Amino acid sequence: MDIKVLGTGCANCKATIALIDQIAKAKGVAVTLEKVEELRDIMGYGVMSTPGVVIDGKVVHAGGVPSRDKIEHWLSA
Amino acid sequence: MNDRVDLPQAREVCPTTTRRLIGDGALLVDVRERAEVAQVAFDVPDLVVMPLSEFEQRFAELPRDRELVMVCQSGPRSLKATYFLMYQGYTRVANMEGGINKWASKGFPIKGVRAGASTPAAVSSCCGTAAPAAASATSCCAPGPGASAAAGACCSPAVAGSGSCC
Repeated sequence: MDIKVLGTGCANCKATIALIDQIAKAKGVAVTLEKVEELRDIMGYGVMSTPGVVIDGKVVHAGGVPSRDKIEHWLSA
Repeated sequence: MNDRVDLPQAREVCPTTTRRLIGDGALLVDVRERAEVAQVAFDVPDLVVMPLSEFEQRFAELPRDRELVMVCQSGPRSLKATYFLMYQGYTRVANMEGGINKWASKGFPIKGVRAGASTPAAVSSCCGTAAPAAASATSCCAPGPGASAAAGACCSPAVAGSGSCC
């Protein structure tokens, strides 16, 4: 599973990456986590509110740290 | 949700070029929040205020067939809005680098006074002296034939409350 976190380096973006990483490890799901920090690359997904989360090329979340439940749902899909 | 688009580098223009573009019919779009605009605003005849917090909901109000120049306080927010419009298929859009800070530092027209700034525009505003606030307010803000729109903006309660010239 290829996961990108969109954000220019704010605290919420870092928290989002850490949370996804933590939950993926706990569930034993293999993920590739990547930070996308360049504004042009972020805006290439049409996301105005960060952090944004992209899974396998699709934006699944924008704005605020996603909930643990939401992340677990993504990882079990 | 959204698909990825490989966006080209946004077009960036300086305040001087922006003035020329406005003269050629471009529309200035200020994405600062309303409280910021109330303090100091671009003094141009044709301007749309569309704060970044409202931008996603309202961007479709902006014309696609007219040159748009996006502006903010110092540039980053309007750059974001520029890319967002590009993502939405707008092609006639540019970002003004440096925002109203750079615009005002060039002496280009503004309404209100930038906090802590000593700019040509600020110096030439209605209350150019260091007179006591009350006296200054009554002297420069009395309505009269010579009162300009800029003077009214300079002496609005919001600006006066912030400890500016009035």
